[in-house]
Amino acid sequence: MSLLEVRQLTAGYGPVEVLHGIDLDVEQGEMVVILGANGAGKTTTMRAVSGMIPRSGSVMFDGVDITKTNAEKLVGMGIAHVPQGRGTFPDLTVLDNLRVGAYSRSADISGDIERWFEVFPRLAERRDQRAGSLSGGEQQMLAIARALMSHPKLLLCDEPSLGLAPLITQEVFEVLKKLNNDEGLSVLLVEQNANLALKVAKRVYLLETGSVVASGPAAEIASDDAIRKAYLGA
Amino acid sequence: MERFFQYLFDGLSLGSIYALLALGLVVVFRGTGHLNFAQGEMAMICTFVVWQFNDWGIPLVVSIILGMIVGFALGAGVEATIIRGVAKKSQAGVFVVSIALFLGLNSLAAMVWGNLPPEQLPGLFPDEPDDFQRIFGAVWRYEYIGVLAVALLLMGLLFLLFAKTKFGLAMRAVASNPESARLAGIPTGIVLASSWGIAGAMGALSGTLWGGIVGELNAGLMFTVFIYASAAATLGGFDSPGGAVVAGLAIGVGEQFLAGYFPGWIGQEMKLSAALLTIFVVLLIKPSGLFGSTKVERV
Repeated sequence: MSLLEVRQLTAGYGPVEVLHGIDLDVEQGEMVVILGANGAGKTTTMRAVSGMIPRSGSVMFDGVDITKTNAEKLVGMGIAHVPQGRGTFPDLTVLDNLRVGAYSRSADISGDIERWFEVFPRLAERRDQRAGSLSGGEQQMLAIARALMSHPKLLLCDEPSLGLAPLITQEVFEVLKKLNNDEGLSVLLVEQNANLALKVAKRVYLLETGSVVASGPAAEIASDDAIRKAYLGA
Repeated sequence: MERFFQYLFDGLSLGSIYALLALGLVVVFRGTGHLNFAQGEMAMICTFVVWQFNDWGIPLVVSIILGMIVGFALGAGVEATIIRGVAKKSQAGVFVVSIALFLGLNSLAAMVWGNLPPEQLPGLFPDEPDDFQRIFGAVWRYEYIGVLAVALLLMGLLFLLFAKTKFGLAMRAVASNPESARLAGIPTGIVLASSWGIAGAMGALSGTLWGGIVGELNAGLMFTVFIYASAAATLGGFDSPGGAVVAGLAIGVGEQFLAGYFPGWIGQEMKLSAALLTIFVVLLIKPSGLFGSTKVERV
């Protein structure tokens, strides 16, 4: 049984249907990436999985049907979602951002906070600064650390490279890869930077106008000439 | 110099009442981005409720606490049942609905309590002619000292709630980024209803303190206080609780100075216009207010 099992997922905004029946799996401990052009429905897929928008079809997580569960509850069940571009609380300090991340838990969180400060030393230096004053890369790292404060089983990460310098992007990806390798954190990633994503992910779904048009192991997708030409620009 | 301190003391006490109501406006605005036009009328209704409890023989302090609970329930109920549904469809609709609430609550008060002879709300503090303290030659009545103390105490508690509690953290998170707040597992609906509830409770206290000073209750009790509170929220910045308090006190003091030092051309009649002029000037020169944040979003 997969950790996340999405079947015939349809979702959209108001009367506009964006996703037309998506099937998608994330195994325990796996890093999966969703690739696709602008407007393919990548972000919508993430928002539908985490319950931010109305959806139909079936979404099973850890053996439980969560199709009707709303977003506030999912984080307690083990799904953490870093939304695209604005996963932090700009008016709150770095420390408060992390505290909000642990909102769903009642245990002592000081150990967790110290741990993320070790992983992201630059956040530790800025712990009392407002998140809005951080650089783009620091904000992205804070958004990820904030999401991980909830001890998720599955991390949804929507375009972590958006607007970041290449070097910073690489740093963010290394952290994700390390979490995936060392701690078995399952990750569902949306990414525009296909070459980078194919290096870290194990499996790929290729999305086009709301449907999955290809899927398979990252190595296979990366070596398929037709796919390379059409989607990966090389 | 004696006059200076007299205006200053009077201004601080009255200003603390404006600040309480302004804080209510700010708490609502920070949470949901709406200006609650009915804030003053909700406070007025709650003041009548306090009077009613007291009239039934319940001690005044208990009546005030009950009134604040009613204020909380009224605020939270209005948000959950009326505002939230309308806000989903149209932001401008919320504006119209809060004006409708303003009129509705005003008529309701007139209907329920209007036919009685003018109600006298007893002051919370000793209010005999000789109940005062002379400081720097100025008369500071115990009632005014008490009003300032109670208002500051409640504001202090509210700031502790914001800064030190998990619920305060949730409120700040929802105000800062509602979407990520949901993703962090914060029940945004409860938080937003509570923001309106807290505003309602602050209003109830503001109204009761003001009613105690005015002495006589009527449906128009909070008109001027609401205008001063709006000016305070504008001046302080609609998303800054600290700004609302500072600006509320400043407007209270400014009002006394203007009316006291220029009795000829401002006086008691024109001082309300000064508040409206403040709103106008702030909106022209610095729309975010003195302490408000201008939103900068990274793309």
